Amino acid sequence: MKTTKTIFQDGGHKWVAIVRDPEKPNYLIDTNEYLVAYGDQGLLLDPGGAEIFPAVFSALSAEFDPSALAGIFASHQDPDTVSSLALWLEFNPAMRCYVSWLWSGFIPHFGGTAETLVAIPDEGMDIALAGLILKAVPAHYLHSSGNFHLYDKVAKILFSGDVGAALLPPGQDGLFVENFDAHIRHAEAFHKRWMGSNEAKRRWCERVAHLDIDMLCPQHGAIYRGADVQRFINWFDEIQVGGVVNA
Amino acid sequence: MSASLFPLATGRPPAGVDLLRIVRINEQIKRVVGVSFKINIMALNAIFLAKRAGTAARGFGVLSNELRVFSQDLRTCMESLTRLIHACVNEVSVVLQNNRQMRLLGKAAELAPRQPALIAVRQRRSRADEEHAQQLGRLRRQLKRALEDAFQMVELGGVLAKSAKIEAAYGQSHAAALSQVSGEFDEVVEEIRAALESLRRSPFFAGS
Repeated sequence: MKTTKTIFQDGGHKWVAIVRDPEKPNYLIDTNEYLVAYGDQGLLLDPGGAEIFPAVFSALSAEFDPSALAGIFASHQDPDTVSSLALWLEFNPAMRCYVSWLWSGFIPHFGGTAETLVAIPDEGMDIALAGLILKAVPAHYLHSSGNFHLYDKVAKILFSGDVGAALLPPGQDGLFVENFDAHIRHAEAFHKRWMGSNEAKRRWCERVAHLDIDMLCPQHGAIYRGADVQRFINWFDEIQVGGVVNA
Repeated sequence: MSASLFPLATGRPPAGVDLLRIVRINEQIKRVVGVSFKINIMALNAIFLAKRAGTAARGFGVLSNELRVFSQDLRTCMESLTRLIHACVNEVSVVLQNNRQMRLLGKAAELAPRQPALIAVRQRRSRADEEHAQQLGRLRRQLKRALEDAFQMVELGGVLAKSAKIEAAYGQSHAAALSQVSGEFDEVVEEIRAALESLRRSPFFAGS
């Protein structure tokens, strides 16, 4: 079963990471899910694939009533990101799924209807959660052509989808990055192959460098915090991504 | 092999097995449709042949025309079978998807046993699953009835083909040619009968 870790709390404003299931089959990539709770509402970020729904659901329900989820934020369209959508909608069919307009005709293949989907325009948008304003930040081509991250300026947390992701070996899968140089080795190949455009990467680095970020939370791997956030942005800015694959 | 191919506690055939059976039925239906098209062409040729043979083949001409009508009726009947097959595929697909989702919800219930929302969702899903099973049962019975209708139609086609054989004997100088055509009619109708017989024996119809 996955475990929950509260990574930020200020009264009723909370960020909960749902992570690390020791019983997860090895053939499924490990994913991090995040809950943003504010007042009596909750937004689940990249809720994960259908096969890991039981583990995510049970962990989440220890912290939050799943039927009170107001919405789901999908950074992009991948199955490990949001193929559990139909199962979450069982608990609250009125729930909304925020996703790039580019994928609004694709995501309903996982579940939901036209009413379920809120299409985020390319420039991003504000998402209101019981009075808390969250910002959908453009991250197109990193690694999907329609891609968004989610910024909470009050908590100073950026949910960064696949940016910052690392495929961690067993035994080195702590929740936070403790040794940046050792950690980033596990992120390098992933970023070089999965990120599509150096230009897009550069624009993203410039954009997020202006944000006040205490924690950068990826969908896979460990969370960057404190000085490691800027360290990661600098590292990412310098690597070459989207190279041609010899096939 | 997916878990849904294994027998379930409900006593119903597993949805994956049903889907395979439906695919096989559909293949047979396509075969019958192809053969009935062949009868239509054969009947048209037979009508021209009967016209050339004149008065001696008048009865043969009437029967050839009847066989042409039979071919068209059979195709219409097969179209309705195809529509029913599509409806069955839809229902079975929904059941297959539900099975997967019920399995995942079941696992979630094991991990979070005291979640009232989860209990409610699973009960709702069970009811929906039961409704889909009933709908599939109705479609199964409709398909069986439509198949019996088609079989009756083919029995009539067989009588027409055999009558054409008799009429061919009165075709005087054209008797040999007419006999060959009527023999082909008989073979084709028998082929359809065999295909429909095998469809009637499909274990798909044994389900509730």
